[in-house]
Amino acid sequence: MFIHYYMTPSPVTIQAHMYIAEARDLLGHKHFRHLPVVDNDGRLQGMITDRDLRSADPSTVLNADERQRILDRVQKTKVKAIMSTDYLSLKTVSTLDDALLLFEKKPVGALPVLDSAGKVVGIFSLDDLTRAYRSLFGLGEKGSVLIAIENQTDSPSLSRLVQVLEEHNVLFTRLVCSDGKGKEPAMIYLRINTCNIPAVHRAVEKAGFIVHVPMSASQGQPPA
Amino acid sequence: MAALYMTNQLITIIYDSQFLKHDTGGGEHPEVAERMQVIENQLRNGALASSLLYEQPQPADRRWLLTFHTEAWLFRFEEATLSGRTYIGHPDNQIGFETYDIALLSAGAGLKGIDLLEQDSAKLVFCTVRPPGHHAEPNVPLGFCFLNNCAIAARYWQQKYKRRKICVFDFDAHHGNGIQAAFEEDAETLYISIHEHPSFSYPGTGFSEEEGTGDGKGTILNIPLLPGAGDEQVIASLESEVEEKLAWFQPDAIIIAAGFDAHRLDDMSGLNYSTDLYHLLGLKIAGWTKKYTEGRLLSILEGGYHLKALPESVEAYLSGLLAEL
Repeated sequence: MFIHYYMTPSPVTIQAHMYIAEARDLLGHKHFRHLPVVDNDGRLQGMITDRDLRSADPSTVLNADERQRILDRVQKTKVKAIMSTDYLSLKTVSTLDDALLLFEKKPVGALPVLDSAGKVVGIFSLDDLTRAYRSLFGLGEKGSVLIAIENQTDSPSLSRLVQVLEEHNVLFTRLVCSDGKGKEPAMIYLRINTCNIPAVHRAVEKAGFIVHVPMSASQGQPPA
Repeated sequence: MAALYMTNQLITIIYDSQFLKHDTGGGEHPEVAERMQVIENQLRNGALASSLLYEQPQPADRRWLLTFHTEAWLFRFEEATLSGRTYIGHPDNQIGFETYDIALLSAGAGLKGIDLLEQDSAKLVFCTVRPPGHHAEPNVPLGFCFLNNCAIAARYWQQKYKRRKICVFDFDAHHGNGIQAAFEEDAETLYISIHEHPSFSYPGTGFSEEEGTGDGKGTILNIPLLPGAGDEQVIASLESEVEEKLAWFQPDAIIIAAGFDAHRLDDMSGLNYSTDLYHLLGLKIAGWTKKYTEGRLLSILEGGYHLKALPESVEAYLSGLLAEL
């Protein structure tokens, strides 16, 4: 659950006294969108994004000569002039939950990751967050399948369920519960590793659990 | 020696009674020898009986297995069977002492079928085989599968007979992750699979977003169906995206990964196909074969576990092929 395992380590950085033209080259060539601005010791000073660069571009309604003249000036402007200094950041010990809450707080695409001295040691993007949760939930894991069991919301039911699976030698790698307080009904989701799903259904049903089948299934439509 | 093609015997079934000896351990394992027997009984005693010719497969030569599998896996597989182990990797993948040799025969059936088709010694070929193959990865068995019969057959067709562009169409209820793995970076193969949605179904792969990568981008077409989906959704997909993809790809030969576990009586999936749908699939596939491949069509059995629905569905599928070709 620590972002340390999912971040991009040692990201490309830039310094505040460098020119916007250099920032543009870095982002253009490396195909990413976020550039931490650091001092000589690698400590974070600000962030610059491809959006900041686009905002610095001269307006397209200007004539070509005027546009080129302003563009030349922008290119010779230092990064410090356009970098954002009210950035959010993560620490190496931050969790995926921390990252998710920060992304919810501010609409940014990536967060710098700092060590205890404030030095940039990584960058963690929304894509990294998606990949991390994909991996944790086992999405696309070959040989697995998710089954849903109605959650009777008492903890003994979970331990009983695990016991049934162990008794029947059913391998499973994930167990996630929804409590029914939101729009999602109370459910236990199990990622099991077997092709013989009917045998698993029979075992858990025999133990008193109800296997959930999507409600609109007969229509072939997404569950309501 | 290849059998002579006789005008009243239009369907060649490739089968060997050795397939009955692949021991999956009893208990609740659904991939059982009876699957072969019920298909045999249905075909030999049913409406298609007079149209059938039987051929036996030869074990697939190791060089063809290596077009998809690794040496390490083949050694591990053979060693595991000979050492008396009861499964490899997961209890789904049950083995007996003879499983390795039988899997070679199962993989060899497709190759025999291709030889017969290319020598004009057969018109329609259906391989009634087990163990099935479409989940098998290059070095890992998965979902009852050890050797990827369809992927191996595709490479054989390409390399031995220079049929460059091969389409594998998979109508088993489960996504054929192994076939996709074989083809997803390859511009000269096309994999089309209609299966139960991977959020609800084994093996958890086959999302529509998986379209192939690199040179193979666009050569994977996954059509996941939600639980409960049936004939209507399949027909709509066949007549739109599947036919569009085939027209784009222009295959030289078609291999069918013929699984029958999406039948409404088969509890291995939540899909809801009728027996009639398999007849319609036969008609459609035969039509594509006439249009694109001059008759080069090979069908290889994959799943299908309900012992009444399976043989009836196989017969319906073959009768559909026969009616159109």
